[in-house]
Amino acid sequence: MAVSREVFEARVLALLGSLQGVARRLTRNDADAEDLVAETVERAWRARDALESEEAFRAWIFRILDNAFISGLRRAGARPQLESIERADEDAEDGSFSLFERLHQPFLLWFSNPEQEFLDKLLREDLDRALAALPDRYRVVVILADLEEFSYAEIAATLEIPLGTVRSRLARARGALQKVLWQQAQAYGLTGTGAPAGHGGELESVPQRAGPAARSACGNEGREQ
Amino acid sequence: MTKQQIDCELALKQIFEYVDHELGEHEHAWLEQHLRTCKSCFSRMEFERRLKEKVGALREDELASPLGERIKSLLKSF
Repeated sequence: MAVSREVFEARVLALLGSLQGVARRLTRNDADAEDLVAETVERAWRARDALESEEAFRAWIFRILDNAFISGLRRAGARPQLESIERADEDAEDGSFSLFERLHQPFLLWFSNPEQEFLDKLLREDLDRALAALPDRYRVVVILADLEEFSYAEIAATLEIPLGTVRSRLARARGALQKVLWQQAQAYGLTGTGAPAGHGGELESVPQRAGPAARSACGNEGREQ
Repeated sequence: MTKQQIDCELALKQIFEYVDHELGEHEHAWLEQHLRTCKSCFSRMEFERRLKEKVGALREDELASPLGERIKSLLKSF
């Protein structure tokens, strides 16, 4: 089905903020994000006859954005990133990491509820940094599920993967995100556990703390001093 | 393995689908019932739900301009 110019324009403009937000998190760069959105809109216009229904517009245009992003990596010869995309569903260990289990341990239960306290004090900048540290394939699935509130079916349509893969990849991505948050808290010296930071394999980059504000990301300041 | 342990293991496997509102009616009802009686699984679910909420709060309605102007010009050129 071909959408009319009016419908196409209205849909694009209504989704522009979301497209830009996702593009910024994928490219980690404002200028590249704007180019990616522009390329996406051009590609979408050229391919508008392939749109199956108006209801599918959101998943369809985000699929185009994702494909354009990967094409950009190929053009740039970003081999490590492309390899990490290809390996997205191979690392079974990420999915098994649970921040809750790390925090909910007897020696941390000096506090009434360490895991809830951790969340109370978790800062936006800590989460931002942790999300940015995720490999591309994990980052995109968390963005679509949690920031853009896509259903699993929409994520499947966007990333062109089966529903079962959406479930497993999302579980791995969240495990990986929680691992980064745990590693951040450990790097700040805030977990007070001495537990091994690299359990289940290391992520490529552990974001460094930004400053004193980050210290409050875990509720046990001073336990180790 | 006790029935409670088996139930908890099953519940934990479904936690993400629960917080994402992706469970079928039957599974949703079963998990709700389990969460009413299992403090440990309830705490875990609450943690995952709150963390998802915090991640979701990272979303910003990104500035449309100057990208907005660029896209509007682009749309006119089609």
